Amino acid sequence: MTAVIQAALNGAMMGAMYGLTALGLTLIFGVMKVVNFAHGSLLMVGMFSAYWLIRLTGIHPYLALVIVPPVLFVFGYYLQDVVIKPVFKAEGQVREPLTVIIVTTGVWYVLDNLALMLFGAEYRTVRTAISNKSFALGEFIISIPKFSGFVVAIATAIGLALFMRKTKTGKALRATSLDREAANLMGIDQYRIYNIAFGLGTAIAGIAGCVLIPFYYVYPSVGVVFDIRAFIIVVLGGLGSIPGALLGGLVIGLIESVFSQFMASTWTEAIIYAIFLIILFVKPSGFFGHKQDW
Amino acid sequence: MSRKQLDRILLAVVALAAFGLPLVVTSPTYLQILILLFFYAYLTTAWNLVGGFAGVLPLGHSVFVGIGAYTSSILTLQYGVSPWIGMLVGGAIAAVIGVIIGLPTFRMRGAYFCLCTIAFAEGIRVMVENIDTLGPLKINGPRGLLVPLLKDPTFWDYQFMSKLPYYYIILVLLILVLAFTWFISRSKIGYYLAAGGEEPEAAAALGINVANYKLFAMALSCFLTALAGTFYAQLMLYFYPKGLMGLDLSFEIAFIALIGGRGTIAGPVIGALLLRPLNEFTRIYLSDMLPGLHLVIFGLILILVMIYLPKGLTAPLAALYDRLARKITGQGAAK
Repeated sequence: MTAVIQAALNGAMMGAMYGLTALGLTLIFGVMKVVNFAHGSLLMVGMFSAYWLIRLTGIHPYLALVIVPPVLFVFGYYLQDVVIKPVFKAEGQVREPLTVIIVTTGVWYVLDNLALMLFGAEYRTVRTAISNKSFALGEFIISIPKFSGFVVAIATAIGLALFMRKTKTGKALRATSLDREAANLMGIDQYRIYNIAFGLGTAIAGIAGCVLIPFYYVYPSVGVVFDIRAFIIVVLGGLGSIPGALLGGLVIGLIESVFSQFMASTWTEAIIYAIFLIILFVKPSGFFGHKQDW
Repeated sequence: MSRKQLDRILLAVVALAAFGLPLVVTSPTYLQILILLFFYAYLTTAWNLVGGFAGVLPLGHSVFVGIGAYTSSILTLQYGVSPWIGMLVGGAIAAVIGVIIGLPTFRMRGAYFCLCTIAFAEGIRVMVENIDTLGPLKINGPRGLLVPLLKDPTFWDYQFMSKLPYYYIILVLLILVLAFTWFISRSKIGYYLAAGGEEPEAAAALGINVANYKLFAMALSCFLTALAGTFYAQLMLYFYPKGLMGLDLSFEIAFIALIGGRGTIAGPVIGALLLRPLNEFTRIYLSDMLPGLHLVIFGLILILVMIYLPKGLTAPLAALYDRLARKITGQGAAK
């Protein structure tokens, strides 16, 4: 039983990381109605940025948290502005243009393989001040970097939810996600809102990169691991839902770690896909999604 | 000379060139590249029946290649059945599984459909990787299957000492599937599919059972895709789940179709003609210095085509041919 609870604790902490990645994906989908296939690659960019920053300057990993996300915001903002927006404009009338999904797939291929060309395929880790630290909670051991990642994930979700409710930009984001045309008529520049949404999603991937780097490997295709799970989490939680992303992340993390106590861990992947398909067929709007979105 | 005659002459020249090409290209390496080019053009044409004409974007077709390869190879290895028969059995199994996947997923909208096909395909791949034996069948998990090299293979063994027979088999398969696509696109089914892909509600309102036609297209596409799986197994004599059933192959098929021109007959061939040599040569000559370069180019082409030619390369090429044809046949501007 102890082992199972320990696995559940670890799973919850890893799940929060999946949830954090899914948070950016769900924000982008909610506003733009586009499944961003490049999201894992954006996480990879965030992880490599944090990796090189820490490696080259030796700063504390959590200092990177104030540097990397703003840089990634700018990166995402202009990525959407330059690469994705033209396709959007060409298909302005379509609610969920497939060509945009395809362009994000192209971005995924370009980013992942540029990283492969620049940094090689090897797995990299950086030893930081907190990498192997842990504390005891009763008879259970909690790793400090994972625990702080968990805290950061929840703080980010709360921060994002507050931003969406309290600020003018957040309200514009929500208005656009509810009704593109009406928001346009109210004087909201749809494409600038898309840039901001994409930038924010990328910045959140940067946050995830910073908190992952003290305990996780980085390599060019690391995004794929998180990508597929983030898709599943977002559907599970309901596309566009912030609490749904976090909750979905926790569920997937728990399933992954607890099931691997009872069976070969390679099987848990098949179970996650099965759960995903069942959710899609039974309740495609997920925990908190809107019915019209599927 | 009329336009129809010109079209026929062009088709005949292309077909003759394809059949005569091995007279010029004798090196097995280059022949292999051509075989793989036709293999991808074939797979993409089969994918196009669903991904192009039915207006959805399936991203898990590699799983049907895998089903074809596994079925015929297991039947050959364990029961001594000729791969030619195993190929048809594999096709039938793939068609059934395709319909099972299609039944619930065709209700889904755009992105959900993509994610669903990915989840099905990856789920099946992970299962194959985790299963060593399924009842009496030896699947061999992640290690894949090895088709033993025969000493004196006959035609019946679907194994040949030279590359040449493989070249002609895949060429004939490609021509058949292209002819088939042409036939479908001109039939009632093709029109129904196109209507259901663009305006499902309107088509349904006209009394077209869109779902049934999509399922039919899916079954056909999966059947044809699985045939190529057997071909691949007999050509390479070795395959494993991650390589043959992974997402990379599924995405490459979709990319070739999208760049060439989704929903057109020539699109898959044009896409394969452009991307496969690019892929092979950058991989052969540049991958030591710059691993991943070919995929960067792939991604960039995809992005540029989507921005500037969202209908793919076939549309401008067809317009160009149209202009030339009008000059040659001496006809003025078309209506």
